[in-house]
Amino acid sequence: MLAISGINLAAFFATYLGDYDWVPAAVLFASWETLYMVFLSTAVSYLLGMPLAIILVTSEKGHILENLQLNQVLGSIVNAVRSLPFIILLILAIPFTRWVVGTSIGTVASIVPLSLAAIPFVARLVETSLKEIDWGLIEAALSMGASNWQIISKVLLPEAMPSVVLGVAITAINLVGYSAMAGVLGGGGLGTLAYYHGYMRYQTGIMWITVIVLIVIVQGIQMLGDKAAGRIINKRR
Amino acid sequence: MRKTLSIVLIACLILTLGLAAGCSKKTEQAAPDKGAPEKQATEKLVVGAIGEPHTAMLKMVKSKLAEQGVEMEIKDFTEYSQLNPALNDKQIDANFFQHIPYLEDFNAKTNSKLVWTVKIHTEPMRIYSEKIDNLDKLADGAIVGIPNDPTNSGRALAVLQSAGLIKLKEGAGVTATERDIIENPKKLEIKMADAATLPRVLQDAAICCINTNYALDAGLDPMKAVFVEPGDSPFANVVVVRPEDKDKDSIVKLGKALQSPEIADFLKTNYPAVVLAF
Repeated sequence: MLAISGINLAAFFATYLGDYDWVPAAVLFASWETLYMVFLSTAVSYLLGMPLAIILVTSEKGHILENLQLNQVLGSIVNAVRSLPFIILLILAIPFTRWVVGTSIGTVASIVPLSLAAIPFVARLVETSLKEIDWGLIEAALSMGASNWQIISKVLLPEAMPSVVLGVAITAINLVGYSAMAGVLGGGGLGTLAYYHGYMRYQTGIMWITVIVLIVIVQGIQMLGDKAAGRIINKRR
Repeated sequence: MRKTLSIVLIACLILTLGLAAGCSKKTEQAAPDKGAPEKQATEKLVVGAIGEPHTAMLKMVKSKLAEQGVEMEIKDFTEYSQLNPALNDKQIDANFFQHIPYLEDFNAKTNSKLVWTVKIHTEPMRIYSEKIDNLDKLADGAIVGIPNDPTNSGRALAVLQSAGLIKLKEGAGVTATERDIIENPKKLEIKMADAATLPRVLQDAAICCINTNYALDAGLDPMKAVFVEPGDSPFANVVVVRPEDKDKDSIVKLGKALQSPEIADFLKTNYPAVVLAF
């Protein structure tokens, strides 16, 4: 084992991969880019999508903060953004991206359109989770004199948490898929590597390597999500 | 219930089969009338093209060819990808729309042996900038945007090399990648983005290598570019034929007609962004 660890990895790749000795480093770097884009855009989209979801749910008819007009306006905006194909959103968002991060090309820049696409998705996902809560619970809290804020923070969010956490995994996995298109604006990542080298340059091997890495990443995200949700449920018992 | 279901299923099946049969019949009928005509009185030549300026140039030489006993029919295509297969299938006798690397790529991928006869013009890739008016002013570590598809990125790297900004490994060819860069004295940060998107992100880079068509679409003025791809690039638009027709009389006449001074004048007046390749 010691002998193996002594092998210079670069030399090993150069010997066995020939012209493709750059691939391992490229795949590693692209994986990092993908994880970076997915992690940050998931974080941003939950930061902004969660409040949106709470407003969407509580402003519904008969809910604690009923405001039908607001509900309809927000709902329409969410639907409008969700109906945009991501590739179009990516292009339309260029001026906004430039305004937020100062440039429209690169990995950091692609986080903006990724988040923009994910925010309404997250809003609907969390909305669904929040709606699963038994109305009886909210009613009970109301009868005990809970304030609106207490209902949101002590009833709605904790009750929906396992489902919300599973939603995070769904969102992150969706974003792994979306991030493949970041290459259009120089965002890099595994999808770009697979498309521009594997597909367009007919280096099929690279395509398969990236596909395998993507599968591993997606499995990993799902496992983490399942575990986190399970832990929350277990704690309650 | 089960009976209705099976009736519906059978109906679907018949419908599908009928449609399939109808479709195949259509293609069978279409093939012969697209094939080469049999009359040999005057020499007939079917030339495929797509868009401008190619179709306009062919129209210009039509009467000239008629005088020389070549009756040319111009087939205007709507799909780039159909022109070479149509030539292979003898639906057309020549086509005029592509540059040499596109042809080589097609030949390699489809095991075809199509050949080019004459170079006509190049739509050069140019270096554009919103920040500098001269490449000498390019700062160290500046961001350079280039297209990300294989041929265009290789072409852009070659353009950067011609501009003296980088040096590529010898024999890197038209499909060069960033890994073929052996010298980058200005430590330029090369970023790849979609070829059509580059005009939109031009302001986020110091310079961008942009194809003429995308630059024109985006309203960029090719005359204001800071660098123009040299005329000897392999990206010249060529007339392409089947290998056995390379020296055919009508094909030679077509080539000569397209390389005439009238065509040169036409391009210079109407397509100033284009560079002559003959």
